[in-house]
Amino acid sequence: MPLDDEAVAEIYREHGPMLRRVVWRATSDANRVDDIVQEVILRVWKQAPDAENLRAYLITTARHLIVDQHRAAGRRPQQAQLVEIAERDSALDRALDQVLVEEALGRLQTNHREIVRCLYYERLTVAETSVRVGVPEGTVKSRAYYAVRNLRVILDEMGVTR
Amino acid sequence: MNPGSDDLHVLLGAYVLGGLSDDDHRAFSEHLRTCVPCQTELGQVSGLPRLLDLAGPEGGPHLAEAAAGVAAGLPTEPDNERVTTLLAEVSRRRRRRRTWITGLAAAAAVAFFVGGAWLGPRWTATTPPTAGPTATSTLPTTHVEAAAVPGSSVRVDIALVTRGWGTQLDIDCEDMPKEGELALWVIDANGRATTAASWRATAAGYSKVTGATALRPNEIRSLEVRTGTGKVLASART
Repeated sequence: MPLDDEAVAEIYREHGPMLRRVVWRATSDANRVDDIVQEVILRVWKQAPDAENLRAYLITTARHLIVDQHRAAGRRPQQAQLVEIAERDSALDRALDQVLVEEALGRLQTNHREIVRCLYYERLTVAETSVRVGVPEGTVKSRAYYAVRNLRVILDEMGVTR
Repeated sequence: MNPGSDDLHVLLGAYVLGGLSDDDHRAFSEHLRTCVPCQTELGQVSGLPRLLDLAGPEGGPHLAEAAAGVAAGLPTEPDNERVTTLLAEVSRRRRRRRTWITGLAAAAAVAFFVGGAWLGPRWTATTPPTAGPTATSTLPTTHVEAAAVPGSSVRVDIALVTRGWGTQLDIDCEDMPKEGELALWVIDANGRATTAASWRATAAGYSKVTGATALRPNEIRSLEVRTGTGKVLASART
């Protein structure tokens, strides 16, 4: 049976903002954001999936809706010749993955995120990061370890399994 | 595990992200050759750098100093409004489903009405013989006939449909009084009686109404159809 109103509202409150960001960044179309997000939640309502991983289910559903709409738009004659569907889909997948990675980084604990920024994006050494952050090198190493593990878990939760 | 391998194990993070000193890098590489758990774990996280690259050279908006810009350009009307819109749509689609479900239940009731016929002035609790598993498996239904009390000739068929919220009572009556109000009363195990439906008599003496009670079918001890003045026309006991 479908979920009751309260359950639907709760899913929306918990996952709506994340879905809106993801759809917005993947489509850059403010008019479609609400429609797509609403449709995603409605599908969850209707199917009441016994999803162990609701977040991944929501994101996968959003991905399908966006891809479907893209394809539908591509069937319009005046747009058909622009790009091959496969090429466009892979560009879209890439855009979605980008958004999801950014979202995952945002969900990382602050002190773990800081370590990822220093070590990966700024290419600092462990010693330099230790000075920058003001913690011992051993702490930098262990935070890096947990940051990597947690990031993997968060991405898995979002259905990004690559 | 080798002595001190816990310390080495933890180097996996910086090994993936970069930034290890030459000594640490060498030590971990050496450790990795023989440590199966580390090899497994590395296999799980070795794809991360490629994913991190997707977020761009700065790591995306969450790593930028001003993280507020994440949803820049996204219209931000009050969230409650969107919840309201969403629930309105849920309600609209639910109505569509409900129409269909009611139609199905009614069809099942009618099928029994015709197929089962009247079994006499006694309580019968049967599964509708003609309603297939489609109707009964989703909505467990018990049909009863309320026996007319002496001096009354009414015929009442009631379908007790198990619902999440209690029991739906689909009532079919024939040969009823032609005027006045009628009501279905539900009596629980403690003798407490509550009205589950009330309706106005029709000139044809026939009516088909649906009532509801919070009681579950097994909590209902008896059912009574009464007139507006409280006279019992028919009753059924479990």
